[in-house]
This record gives sequence, structure tokens and C-alpha cells, in this order.
Amino acid sequence: MPPPPLPPSAPAPSSAPRAALPRLAPLLGHPVSVGLLAVVLAGTAGLGLVLGAGTTPATAWNALAEGMFGSPYAIGSSLNSAAVLALIATGFTAAHRAGLVNVGGEGQLCAGGLAAAAVGLALPAGVPAVLGVPLVLVAGFAAGAAWAGIAARLRTRRGTSEVITTLLLNFIGVGLVSVAVHEEALLRQPVTSSETLPQSAPLPEGARLPLIGGIESPATAIVVIAALAAVITGVVLRRTAVGLRLRSVGHSPAASARLGLPVARLETGGLAFAGGAAGVAGAGLVAMAPSVLAEHFSSGYGFSGLVVGLLARGSLTAVAAVSLLFGFLTNGGINLQLAAGVPASSVQIVQSLLVLFVAAAMFATTRNRSTS
Amino acid sequence: MSATAPALEISGLTKSFGTMRALDDVRLVVEAGTVHCVLGENGAGKSTLCHVVGGSLVPDKGVLRLYGTPYAPRRPADALAAGIAMVHQHFSLVPTLTVGENLRLLRLRDLPRRVARVREEYGLEPDLDARVSDLPVGVRQRVEIVKALLREPRLLVLDEPTGVLGPAETDALLATCRRIAAAGHAVVLVTHKLGEAARAGDAATVLRAGRVAGGGPLAELPPERLVPLMIGRPAASLDAGLAGTIGLTEDRPSPGAGASAGPGTGASPETGTSGAERRRGPGALRLSDVGVRRADGSYALDRTSLDVGFGEIVGIAGVEGNGQSELMALLGGALAPDTGRVELAGRDITRAAPRERTRAGLGVVPEDRHREGCVPQLPVAENLFLGRLDRFRRYGVFLDRRAMNHAADAVLTGHGIRSGGPGALMSSLSGGNQQKVVLARELALDPLVCLAAAQPTRGLDIGAVGAVHSRIRQASAKGTAVLVVSSELSELLVLCDRIVVAYRGKLLGPVDPSQPDARERIGALMLGADHPAGSGTEGAGRAAATAPRPVPGDAPRH
Amino acid sequence: MSAVLDELAAGGVRLAIPLLLASSGELLSERAGVLNLSVEGMMLTGAFAGAAGALASGSAGVGVLTALAAGLLFAALQALLSVVLRADQIVTGITANALALGATTYGSRLVFGDASADSVPGFDPIPVPGLHRIPVLGPALFEQTALGYAAFAVAAALALGFSRRTGWGLAVDAIGEDATTADRCGLPVRAVRFAAVLLTGAVSGLAGAQLALSEVHAFSDNITGGIGHLAVVAVIAGRWLAWPTILACLFFGVAQSLQFAAPALGLHVSAPLLTTLPYVVALLAVSGLVGRSRAPSGLTVPFLRGS
Repeated sequence: MPPPPLPPSAPAPSSAPRAALPRLAPLLGHPVSVGLLAVVLAGTAGLGLVLGAGTTPATAWNALAEGMFGSPYAIGSSLNSAAVLALIATGFTAAHRAGLVNVGGEGQLCAGGLAAAAVGLALPAGVPAVLGVPLVLVAGFAAGAAWAGIAARLRTRRGTSEVITTLLLNFIGVGLVSVAVHEEALLRQPVTSSETLPQSAPLPEGARLPLIGGIESPATAIVVIAALAAVITGVVLRRTAVGLRLRSVGHSPAASARLGLPVARLETGGLAFAGGAAGVAGAGLVAMAPSVLAEHFSSGYGFSGLVVGLLARGSLTAVAAVSLLFGFLTNGGINLQLAAGVPASSVQIVQSLLVLFVAAAMFATTRNRSTS
Repeated sequence: MSATAPALEISGLTKSFGTMRALDDVRLVVEAGTVHCVLGENGAGKSTLCHVVGGSLVPDKGVLRLYGTPYAPRRPADALAAGIAMVHQHFSLVPTLTVGENLRLLRLRDLPRRVARVREEYGLEPDLDARVSDLPVGVRQRVEIVKALLREPRLLVLDEPTGVLGPAETDALLATCRRIAAAGHAVVLVTHKLGEAARAGDAATVLRAGRVAGGGPLAELPPERLVPLMIGRPAASLDAGLAGTIGLTEDRPSPGAGASAGPGTGASPETGTSGAERRRGPGALRLSDVGVRRADGSYALDRTSLDVGFGEIVGIAGVEGNGQSELMALLGGALAPDTGRVELAGRDITRAAPRERTRAGLGVVPEDRHREGCVPQLPVAENLFLGRLDRFRRYGVFLDRRAMNHAADAVLTGHGIRSGGPGALMSSLSGGNQQKVVLARELALDPLVCLAAAQPTRGLDIGAVGAVHSRIRQASAKGTAVLVVSSELSELLVLCDRIVVAYRGKLLGPVDPSQPDARERIGALMLGADHPAGSGTEGAGRAAATAPRPVPGDAPRH
Repeated sequence: MSAVLDELAAGGVRLAIPLLLASSGELLSERAGVLNLSVEGMMLTGAFAGAAGALASGSAGVGVLTALAAGLLFAALQALLSVVLRADQIVTGITANALALGATTYGSRLVFGDASADSVPGFDPIPVPGLHRIPVLGPALFEQTALGYAAFAVAAALALGFSRRTGWGLAVDAIGEDATTADRCGLPVRAVRFAAVLLTGAVSGLAGAQLALSEVHAFSDNITGGIGHLAVVAVIAGRWLAWPTILACLFFGVAQSLQFAAPALGLHVSAPLLTTLPYVVALLAVSGLVGRSRAPSGLTVPFLRGS
């Protein structure tokens, strides 16, 4: 029973990049030229989209800039978005150091938000903020960590790829939030009419994140928390024994085990921390205006945060920079639609193109999980 | 295509990796109808040469001609299409598929007929329904060879094919090479063992540091002339153990070259003396009744017992895949036995975590240096101290890198390790220096009750082999029990006080290496001779059944 | 009661058809080592292009062709990134979804404008004479549109044609499991992976056309609403095996259909809970609680010769 012959190896996909690689690699490999080229290409596409929507570039740019940093409100909400992304990407980076790819930011964010809402709503109305806010955040961290812990356990005990399990846990997390806000027995606000939205009642005052930028800015304590998390994680990963052990496990679990490192515990810890950070981000989203848990409150933050983490490639400085870029762009895009009539989808297009261009240009550089 | 055109003609072949020149202006002519040996130490560029011929690597410069026609493969498929078959050093079988499925991947027409032909001509008969991941390495190697022969190649390239084979299997493989040559095709046999070259080869080319150091018909190149070409110094400068690792001495080393008496190169003065302070006696490492079951229910280790005494060096010989890997995994703490106990100086460590074993004084040098022995992507200092980071704290939380590098510097100097300093990545070191780092790390344990080392000199150049041997002897002289697992019988014969042979999960023997017939006895044990009564006859019978049948007309040359 | 069952089965199969199409492509792609998280985007692009093509030409058949072409183009760009340039498959997948969502949302303003888009020509069901009267199975299987029947055929053909017993299927498995070995056996690793992604794009494009042209005869923003993700999850729940994947698709379809049938059956089941059920099933399937399951070893690992 001879197998049918396969087509002769098609030369096109394999030989083209080989020829181009030596000449382009030094040029494309440099981070600055990569970034610049990606921005120029994506910007050009954006320009086309603006023109396609019948708006002048000047109007569009003004609207975009206005939405990004035209007012304390714009800056504040951009910073909040950036902080959520940075938290997820920081956690991703820590887990990635241990060799794990946490695709589950979205689900962990949901778990965190769910727990934060449950705890927050259980608190008495007059709870003081010094008690309420930490409780909500800790609940978020614990729930996110536990959610990621499922994937960690399946990996260390059963060898199931964490890419697959965390991916699935995303959808389950999103689903659980839906279930919770649809059922009055769970977290749905009392249904008084057919207009009642499927979302939770607002959290008590003492469970909401304090504002940090004065009365006009919506920037909340989440910005400070994210910045602290990134700095501390960076220091731990670079300057402590724990960071070195995580790195060792990430590079070679077998050798690390031989050297006496608790591999399963380090892997579980790394992934649980990633989940916890995403959970805090989720708790933050619930505990800032409008301070309710709503269906789809995660709105893709988890996936964007993952992309930020992957693009930053282990550098927490890059995590901060890319998060800020994404946070500001997203908010600018909302204003682009409101003020200039350009569909917000065009910002989504430009942002995706930017990521794809950068991802494409990274090909010349080495990867940390190479097989020998 | 003229009748006189060589099967393979290579000229001016150059290939660099970064700044490292793996092949430099290599010229090689393989005549049709011959077995051509490519000799050289590890790192001489032999594997790179194979990869270029096989199409896995595209050379920077150079011209290749195959039976007179220009040949410039860009991918392995080109090599296959040109009638070249490769047997790689690392297996190229998909582990999750069965043997039969792996053979079907070749997409050859009339596969059953070809399988039958290989069985008739070479006596090789693979179990087509077995899953590759369930097979021992020796059997996989045979499948690999079958895979190459099925193509009926006009040029067969074998890259270090005998490393995982026993003596009988090696003989059969070399005979197969002769038969292919006799049929008018050509064989390139890449090896670092001169004995194999002498038995099977017609001509040889010696590589050293990427360049052709010499070559010619083997009839004109006795080992005394080949050794200097390979290592750059005369054969007489090698001691018996080192000579053994390149297969120079196929015969038994002279009595007295054994571990207790042999003054290894660079060994400390205390070697061979009976220091009053060193501890003696049995029980440093004791395995009792240890059993490990495989997934299919058979025993990888079949209720085996072994006692290694303080200051004793015990060797485990045997064809790979007879339980040695499981034994090492058991000692390293990666595997818990189904039955039995493991004791270190009287303390039960059967189920202890790797960290506890290290504390109790069990040093392990794993067989797979890159996967288990070290973390290639981390610096040397980190590799030395990963298990003991608590010693390098600053302000209670931070890692004191300066102190760590300082301590690493001392180790590097003390062990004569050549590297770019404590901060150099482990992957930037040569194989020999990597192994010295691993050994230094394990020897630094305090206390050090027992050192277990698997294939401690595999892939090392001659100088590094000498250094590793002398370190092992030093440790033993200080009273450390040493267990060495090696497929290089010559190495065990010069290094060990006692040798046992792994055979189907049992440890047979022991054999005293100073006895004149030690080599022959070990060879017999590797085939299951004097297997304990009961299963003995069955074992020997099956061994004969699985070993390739001798083929007429293959009497060893020379 | 039987009307409710009819409804449940018919609705289940109807919802399963786009899943069947897309996941039979995705299965091959994953077996070859490429994780396409962008099935959702491919499907959405197909739905958009299908509706636009049908609208422009006035023919549903042309819509199918444009959907196919758009799926292929999308897949070719993605394969260029993930197979040739070895970009991270997770990043490219997630980002390609965002790009597709943005581009189709933007594009639908331009193409369909504010005009009600339900004027798009589509396919009507063709009952198979006789067979469609079989209770439960009849309405479920034999009252499909031409595109629906084609979907059955494609799913079955791919499952049979690429089983491990065939040379093609074996080659795909070897490439996904151990690309270096496959390369040394002379198999064209990158060409096969490229082709597998293209195939996924083609069938996902068709799945999108099925959504836009067979079911609603219209395009709306984010019309797929996660069906593409469900197709990826069906492959996981089917543990990278063809027939279990097909079963998973049918099961997922019925679970979704239950949302609409539950009230008639007198069941109170939370709709979001039913939506989540497939993911829980998939998680249980890969968690090793029921038998062994293994993803291809080379999944998401790009191939580079000589490494």
C-alpha cells in the first residue's frame, strides 16, 4: 500500500526569505528602524482610512490628539487603559520567564473582576476605603491566581500545554461573568423593569479605587499599582535569586530539576502571579467608574495585554512603553469617531497593522525556546 | 558520468557559523565501491560536513560533485533525490509514529519489496508495528539504518553510527558497509574510533579543527600515523585510557593500567596511594532490589542490586537501552523505583527530591549534558551555583552577583576551565569545558559521598577526556564512591576497580578489569551470557535472534 | 415534543455547519504544527467578502467565490507571517482577528452603507426528496442549502483524505510532530504548513459565506461572534483527531441550539451557561481526565532548518 506521492517541494515559500535574509537582517533587525518602519507603514494605512471616511487628515489628527492627551479626562482614561494592559503584560512577562506562555489574561481578568464584584458588593455600604479597596484588590488577585492555577496544575500534573488550557479558560471566564450578571441569584442588580441591564449593582463607595489626578481626571490608583508592579517585577526578575531560578526553569526544566530547583512550584508560581496580576487588573476595572461588573467588561483587554507582553519580549521597560502607546491610541480612537466621524475601527486596523509589522520584522532575531 | 568518476568529490568546502569556521577549504574524494572514513575528534567539523552533504546546511563556498555531476543540495530532499541516504547522529524518526509509519514517510514505491530485500540482504528486520518512542536506542539505530538502506542509495553517509551499538551489532553494521561498497556504491563512515576505520574502511580523511589534516588509503595509514593527524600530537603521548576512547587499543590494556595503579595524566600525587585518612568499605551507595517498570509492563530495571564502596570506582558497561538511563534517572531523583531501596551511606534516599540528594552528598553528572547537565543559555557562574544561590545574598533579598562571579572565578581557575569568564554563557564553551564545569559543580559538594557519572567523556576531545578522568580518580582517592556508566568499554577498563554489565535491566558480573580476559567476558555478558539461570537461555536466545545475522563474505579486513 | 426535537436537531446541525467547515481546516493546520487563532478573522472576512460579492454581482454563487478568495488571501498573508517569517503564531492570530474585525466593520460602512443589507442574494434550502421526511434526522441533515451539503462533503473528505492511514495524513502528522525529521525525510515542511494555513483560510471563508449567505442573507458587524473561536476549540475538544472533532462540532451546535429550544422543552437553563459549555467540555477533554490527549509536539514552533 504505497502512499500517494506528495507534490514536489514548492520552492517559493522556503527559498524567497533565505535570499532576502542576509541583506535585510541587519537593517530590519535594529529595534529603532523596526519601530520606525512599522509606524510609518501603519500610519500610511491610517491616513488612507481617514481619507476613505471622508475626513481631512488635519481634522482626524486633532481629534486623535484631543482624545489621547487633549484634556485631563483624556489623559486620565488613557492612563487607566494603559495600566490595565501593563498589569497583564507584566504578569505575562514573569510567567514567560519561567517558560510559560499565558494566553489566559482575558479569563483571569474576568475571574478577578468577578471576585472583586462579589467581595465589593458583600461589603457594608459604609465600609472605609482603607479596608474596602485592599479587600477588593486582594480578592481580584486571588481569583486571577486561582484561575491561572488550574492551568498550572494541569501542566505540572498532566503535562497539558498551558497555551491550550489558558486559552480555553478565557472563554470560560468570560462566560462565568455573563452567567453571574444574568442571574439575580448571583450578581445581577435587582430587575425592576425590562430595561434593567444585565450587570451588577454599583460597588459601595469604600470599595472603589481612589482617584489620583484630581477631580477632573479619571486616573485611579490602578495606575500607581501597575507602575509599582512593573518596577518590582523587573527588580525581582533581574536582581534576585527567584528571578534567576525562574529563568533557569524557563530555559531548561530538566537541568533545573537536576540542580534541585522546585520546578513545578516555580512554574505554578510564575503562572499564578501572571493570573494574579490580570486579576488585579480585572478588579481595577470593576472598581473604577461606573463601578459595576458588566457583561463583556473585559472587552479584549486580556488579549491586548498578551500582545503587549509578547511584543515587549521580556523587557518591563518595553511593557510600560507599549502599554502606554496602546492605551493612548485606544482612547484617541474613541474620540476620532466622536469628533471626526472616522470609525473607531480604523484605529483598531492601524493598531493591528502596527503589531503585525513589528511581529513580521522580529523574524531575524533568535527565540528563547529554541530546540537544539 | 564516466566510470572513473568518484562517487563524491568535494573541493574548497567552507562553512562558518558566526566567527567560528566549522569547515575550512575541505577537500574530500570518495571513490565508488569503497568505504571512506572521515576521522577526527569531536568538534573537528565531521557533523557539519555530513549536514552539508545531506542538504541540511548550505555551504558558504565549495564545489560538490556526485558521480561526476555537479551537486548543490539546498535541502535534504535534494540529497535524497540524488540518491544519498543519511544516518544521523541524532535520530531522525518521529517518536509518536510506529516504525512502519516512519518508513512510509519516505514515500517509496513498493515498500514491502524493499523491506524484504533489506531483510534478505542485510539481515535487518524491524518490528513495523512498534512505536518508536517505546524502542531502546540501539533498536532505533537499526531502524535508522534500515530507513537509509530502503532507498537503495548510491552514497550512504553514516554519522557516528556505532555509539549506541554493542560489539556484535557494530560488527554487523561494519559488514553492511562493506557489502554496500562491494555492490559498487560508496559509503562515508564518520567516526572518531580508529578501530572501526581500520576494520571497515578503504581510505580515510582526517579532519582537525575544520581543516583536512591528512588522509589516504588506510593500508598506508596505520594508527601511529593517524593519531597525530587527529590530535596534533604523537600517539605515544596518550595513556591507555585515552587511547581507548578513540578505539586505538582494541585489545586489553596492560595490567596495571587500572584505576588504582594508573597514574592518570595530571592526577594528583595521592592517586594510587593508600591514604590513611580516606574512608574505605562498602555501603557508600547501595541499591537493593530496585525495579522500574516501563509503560508496556516490561522491566527497565529488573530487581537489581549494587553496592559501591567508599573510594571505589564501579563501571557499568553494556549496550545502551539496557536500563542505564533509568538507573541514572533513579539516582538523579527524576524517577522513583517501583520496588526496592536506594541508600546513600546508610540513609534512605529512594524518594528524596534532587535537592535532598545533593545535600546528602550524591553528585550526578547526567548523560545529556545540554538538556540536564547545565542550562546552556545561562552564564557559567549561574550554572555553577544555581543550586546554592542562598549563599550569595545581599541585604537579604538581592542576589550578590559580584560574590558569585568571584567564587566562580576560583572554580574556573582551580579546574583549568577555559571560558570567557564567569559571565560567559555556558553555550559559548566547548563541550569539554562545559563538562568540566558540570563536574566541578558536582565535585564541590560537601560532603561528597558518591559521584555518579553517565558517559562522562562523550563528545570530548582527548585533552578534556584526560582531565575528566584525573578528576574522577582524585575524587575516588579521597574516599568518594564513583559510579561510571559508559558505552566506551576501554574507558571503563582503565578507570574502574570493578565492572558490571547492564543487560535487560539486570546488572551482570562483576568483572575484574585487571583479569586478562576482562574484555572478552564483558563482551559476552553484553549479549546476556551467564545470565542467571532460568531466564538465561531465553535471554541469550533472544539476543541472538535480535542481533543482525552474519552475512557471508564479511570477514573483518586487516 | 417531536417538533421541539426537530427544531433542536435542525438548529444544532445548522449551527454546526460553519464549525464543521472551519474546524476541519484548522485540524489539519494544527496537526501540521500551525495554531491559527485567527479562524474567527478568516470567517469574518469570508462573510464580508461573500456578502459584498453577492451584493455586487447579484449572485450568491459569486459570493461564495469571493468569500473563498478572501479567505485564501487572508490566510496567505498570515502564512507569510507565521510560516515564512516565523512570527509568533499567537500574536499573529490574535492580531489578525482584530484586524479582520476592524477592516470588515470599516468596510461594511463603505460597501453596504446605511442601506439595509438584507437584500443580499443568498441560498435557499434544498430538501432531499424523501429523506427530509425522516423524523429528527430529516430536517437536521436533509434540508440544507447547497453550501450546507458542500460543507458535509468537505468535512468528510478532509477527515478521510488526511487520516493517518493515507500518505498525506501521515506526512502532515510527521511535520507537526517533528519538523526536522520530516525535513530529513524529504517532506516539504514549510510548503505543507503554508498549504494547511491556506486550506484553513479557504474553508473558513466558506464558513463565513455560509453564515452570511445561507443563514441570514446579510452581513452585520462581527457576524461571526466567536464561532471561529469555537471551531478552534472543537479541534482541542476532539483531541486533534478527525472524527471526534466532527462530533465536537455537532455537540457544540446542539448545545447552542438548546438555548432556543430549552424554553419549549420546559427547561430553565441559563443561556450564557450553555454558551460556555463547549469550552468546559474542551477543557475536560484536554485535561486528561478522560483518556490521554496530546497536542502535536511542534504546535506553534516555527521550523528553521539547521537549528
